[in-house]
Formats: sequence, C-alpha cells, structure tokens
Amino acid sequence: MHSSNRSGGGVLALINPIKAISPACPLEEVAEEFFKPEYAKVLSLPVVENGLPVGVISRYRFMDIYLKRYARELHGKRPIRHFINDKPLLVDLDQTLASAAQHVAANMQFPLTEDFIVIRQGQYVGVGFVMDLLKAMERQMQAGTEELEKAYSQLKSSQLALVQSEKMASLGQMVAGVAHEINTPLGYVQNNVAIGQELFSQVQTMIAGYEALVDSLLDERANEEQIAAQMKLVAAMRNDVNVQEMLGEMHGLMADSLYGIGQISELVINLKNFSRKDAAATDMMDLNDCIESALNIGRNVLKNKVEVIKELGALPRISCAPSQLNQVFLNLFTNAAQAMEAQGTLHIKSWHSDDDVHVCVADNGKGIPEEIIARIFDPFFTTKPVGEGTGLGLAITHQIIQQHGGEIRVESRIGEGTHFHIRLPIVSARAAKPALLEATA
Amino acid sequence: MSKPTLLLIDDEERILRSLRMLFFVGYRVHMTTDPHEAIRILREEKIHVVVSDQRMPVMQGSELLRIARETSPATMRILLTGYSDLDASIASVNEGEVFRYLMKPWNAEEVKSVVAEAAAIAEASFAVQSHTETASDVAIAKPRVLIMDHDETTARTVHETLGDRCEIVWASDAQHAMEELAKQDISVVVSDLMLGETNVGYILKTIKQLNPQTQCIVVTTFNDTSRLIDLINQAQITRFLPKPVSKGIFARNLESMLERFHMVRSQPVLQKRQAVAPISDPQEQVQAGNFMGMLGRLRARIGA
Repeated sequence: MHSSNRSGGGVLALINPIKAISPACPLEEVAEEFFKPEYAKVLSLPVVENGLPVGVISRYRFMDIYLKRYARELHGKRPIRHFINDKPLLVDLDQTLASAAQHVAANMQFPLTEDFIVIRQGQYVGVGFVMDLLKAMERQMQAGTEELEKAYSQLKSSQLALVQSEKMASLGQMVAGVAHEINTPLGYVQNNVAIGQELFSQVQTMIAGYEALVDSLLDERANEEQIAAQMKLVAAMRNDVNVQEMLGEMHGLMADSLYGIGQISELVINLKNFSRKDAAATDMMDLNDCIESALNIGRNVLKNKVEVIKELGALPRISCAPSQLNQVFLNLFTNAAQAMEAQGTLHIKSWHSDDDVHVCVADNGKGIPEEIIARIFDPFFTTKPVGEGTGLGLAITHQIIQQHGGEIRVESRIGEGTHFHIRLPIVSARAAKPALLEATA
Repeated sequence: MSKPTLLLIDDEERILRSLRMLFFVGYRVHMTTDPHEAIRILREEKIHVVVSDQRMPVMQGSELLRIARETSPATMRILLTGYSDLDASIASVNEGEVFRYLMKPWNAEEVKSVVAEAAAIAEASFAVQSHTETASDVAIAKPRVLIMDHDETTARTVHETLGDRCEIVWASDAQHAMEELAKQDISVVVSDLMLGETNVGYILKTIKQLNPQTQCIVVTTFNDTSRLIDLINQAQITRFLPKPVSKGIFARNLESMLERFHMVRSQPVLQKRQAVAPISDPQEQVQAGNFMGMLGRLRARIGA
C-alpha cells in the first residue's frame, strides 16, 4: 500500500486537467483563458505543441505584458510563443512524490509564479500546483512518522515482553527447583503422618484390648475362661504387630517430620526474602544478605555439583533494589553451575573500599571463548540451544548494575574459569528509577 | 512364602526411614543412600522391588535402574522422584524400563499397593527364572506392526527395518487404527502422540489393556513430561524417542521391540511385568471406554 504512494499514483493525484494552449494562440485569447473563473487558482498555463510541452505562460508575466498601455493593440494578435518561458518545470508522472518534490523545490522560482507541468514519456498530461505537491509531501511524511512511532512502540513492547519472558523463564526454573526442594521433606512428612495415623488406630485397638483384659481381671463375676480368652486375644495382637518397636520408630519419624517442616518453612522464608514482594522496592541492604538469599534459592542447581567458597567481608549497607540484586546473583551463580561440566567450585568474595562495595564471583568452569566475551552482555546473545535461553540473562544483569550506578566486568580463561566483578557505589548515584525493570518487576 | 524384599535408595535418609516404616509389616527392607552400595546389594541378595530416587549426587536413579535391569532382571523397578524433568523420564523408560514412575510427595496407600503388586510379579518372575522355561514355538502368525504417525520417514524406517518379517499397517486416523485392531492383535505399535488432531494417548493405553503383549514405541516431537509419565504408568510404553530420531537408533529399537514381543509372548509372566495402572484422566477414561466398546462390536462382527 505504501508503494502506490511512492509510484506514479502520488503525482497522479496532483494533476489538474487544464486544457493546454497552442504556441500559435494569440495573446488576447490567452487573456480570456486566464479570466475563466475555473482557472482562478491557476498560476500559469501550459503551452503545448503536438502533445509536447514547449513552455508556460504565467499569469504574472501575462499581466506584466498585457496591462501595459497599448499592449492589446500592439501584441493582441501576436502568438503566445513569443512570450512564454520555454523552460517550464517538468515532473514525470512516474516519479515518486519525494523525487518530484525534490526536483520542484530545487528548480522553482521565487516568488512562485508558475505551476509545474506533468508529463508522461515527454507527453503533456496536466498541470500540478506546487502547494498541492508540498502538502502531499507533508502528508506522506506525517504518515511515515506515524508508522515509525508505531514500530517504535511495538519494538518497545516486544522488548518488555522479552525481558518479561526471560524473567518468567528464570522464575520457572527457580520455582521448579524450589518445588523439588519442598517435595522431598513434604514427601516424608506426609508419609510419616499417614503412618502415624494408621499406627494410632492400631494402638487404640490394642489399648481397648488391654483395658478389656484389665476390666475382666478386676471384675469379680468374670470366670477363668473369659479371662483366658481375653488374654489370648491380647497376646495375638501383640504377636501381630510389634507396637513397642513401631512406637519407637515412630518417635524418630516424628523428629524427622519436625525437621522436614522446619526445612519447608525455611524454603518459604527464603522465597519470600528473595522476591521481597512485601518489602519496599528500594532499601538499605547488606549485599552479603542478597548473596545468601540467592545461594539459598539456587541451592537446587548448585548442590551435588558445586562447592561454594564464601569470603564475605563486613559491608556497609547500600541503597538498592534487593529483589533485582538477588536476581543478579542468582543469574551469576546458575550460569557458573552451568559452565561446569562436572564438579566445580564457586568462589564468592565481597569487600568494600571508601566509596564502593565489591563482589567477585569466580568459577572454575569451562570459561568463555575470547571471540564472544565482548558480546556476553549483549541482549539476545546466547550460546545455549534455541529455546533454552533468551540471551537476556546477562543483559538484564548488566542493566540492573548500571541502573544502580555500578559496573560489572568479566574476565575468563578457557579451561580455567570465569570471573565476574561487580562494583556498586556506597552512596547511590541513582538519578532516576530504572523505568523498564520497575515496570515489569 | 518368605517376605518379599525391598531395596530403597534415596539421598535423603529421612525419606528412607519414612518408607521403611511404610513397609514395616510384610516386607524385608534394605535401604541405602549410596547407589554403589545398592548395586552391591542387588548382586548379593534376591530383591523383589527396587524403589529409587532420581536425582542423587553420585548417580541418577534411571542409571541405577538400568544397572539393576542387567544385574537382577527379575527385580521390579520403580522410580520415586520429586522432580519431573523430561530427560529423567525419558531415561527411566528407555534405560530403566521402570514399572512405575511415582512422584513425591506420594500417596502412602498408592505406593503400598504398587509395591505389593510389583512384589507379586517379581516373585512370579523369580519362579520362572529358576525353571528356565523355554519358548514354546507354536506356529505363530506373522507379527503385525501398527503405525500411528503421519510422518512418512517413520513409516519408511519401519518398512525398511521390519518389512521382511512383519505385516505393517499404517493407520491414518483413530477409526482406521481401531479397524486394524479389530481384525487381529498387534505386536508392535509405533506411534506419535498426536495423530492429526487426535491425542492418541488413550488409544495406546487401551491397546496395552487389551493385549499386554503389544510393545509400544512412541516417536514424537511432543515433549510434555507429565503426559510421558502418564504413558509410562498407564500404557507401559517401552520406548520414548524424541523426534528427530536417527534412523540407526530407531531401527535398533524397532528390532529390540520385535524381539521383546516374541519373548513376552513365549513367557506369560513377562506380560505381567508390563501390567498397566488404571487410566487416571476422566476424559481419557471415557474415550478409552468408548474405544473398547466399539472395538468389541467390530470384533464381534468380523470374527463372529
């Protein structure tokens, strides 16, 4: 649809079908033409011979000649040929609006006294008004601008969607990990309770048996036979289930269950600390707490594979968005775990200088090749297979650190590992709120 | 009969203690957090049922169950895991050939009854093993392979691999598959999870209920862990091959499925080892019921 604007259609819409005059036409007849009311807007009339435009006569020039004293008498019968501008402004019908406008703008005379002639393959087609051309041009630019604005807003919203999907992906990963962490204690706690419930009813039956036996022993009317039968019943029950032993075991299971419930509560507290949905977006935080929170949440990814060595120095609190920094650390830790082909170590160090807090995260994984290290913070850069990474993890990390007025640097050696160094200012230089991430947080 | 013996493996001791208590009455229970120790026990003791966790530091559960399969083929294998990841569930089918894939947290009664069922089947397997009953070579009809997949490469590989020994039927839709099933039993089913718009999960489950000898291979691009777990438990599919699958691997698996079919047919106790759990999804229950009913009527009409 845009192509029609750019092709002949654009110029076509500007054509006014004005009857051309012949070069032989006498001046006085041209006067009549100019005075026709339908030509009131026309600045100039085209002069055409055998279909080819030979010039124009502008109203301005015509008046200049014709209104002079005795002009009618002197020139009235003379053909217009002698008075025309034989270098008219020509626009080809097949030209684009833009190139037509460019051509007209470059060649038009001031003050504007002539219209331009539209031709096709050299043949006269009609007359166009310069003002119409400029207006059409303006409309086209307007439409172009709107299109650009639309594309820009679409781009912006798809960027938001991508950042969101990266967040959802890491959230999904985290939730799956935590769910597994919870499933283990939940598994045995639930089973223990079910076992306890069954044992409880067995014990109940047993006690009822003993009570019946005691009752019959105390009952003076009970005879030997009844007592013997009751004793046999109790003995059978004892034989059937070793309640003493089971109760002893149950004791251990109860302790296990309490331990498991403790684990689940701890996981829930960790999750809450991590997301900090109930806390202010910005807070005075000790970065060591963010590191611990991320380690807790990432435990499922790290355990069995990564030995974590912590060297956390005492840090001053800094003003930051804790949930974002938690995300930064979790991202670095899980990346490190993924970089390890087998077992590995993750070395986390924190310290501070007068102005800054520093955190260093180092792994002994496979390292990042030199040719890609400059691109790892680029959005959409990923080495993972399609569908497994959006390539936004480190880009978001980078963005969060920048918005906190800090910086993140990376060093890596193939086969030896990768080293991320984060520096955050103690006195926050955050001028504005990080709009993009806040909006999607 | 002496008590059946269980072997429980989990890296969390509390899980082990809890499960042991569940089988306190009626079983002998071995338990360990160390898969290598578990392999030693499997070698030395007669174990009826092994119940293993999937994610463990030393070894994945599916790997342990694969070793158990070689070390003690009569032992029934169950995976009990809190983590439903696709790789683990694929490995548990293809390598571990598990009887059930159970999720943590588990339902105590369900686990008890699954283990009891498995223990009884293992006992029967041990009995057959000691008799070394050989295949009774009765004149056997040509094995039939049913393809439920619109993918031509699947059909081509099946034809090239088994075409010389088997009758091959390529079903275009559920109705067609049913008609073929009505005519005669199927030995091996090669199926995608979607046949056009139809989700064929219920058909696979019904086929296995109808004839436990049938071996199912699923080849699909459709990767949904919970549906796969369903198919393990309720259809006892024997292989799950994600597309695109290399021709060599596919052919090898087809061969081994045909072999498996012959084995299962000659030793009825092996059929029990692939006993299926009841269909859990209510919609699939209805679909399977209808399928079974229509199939019955068709068979009556054809067979008479």
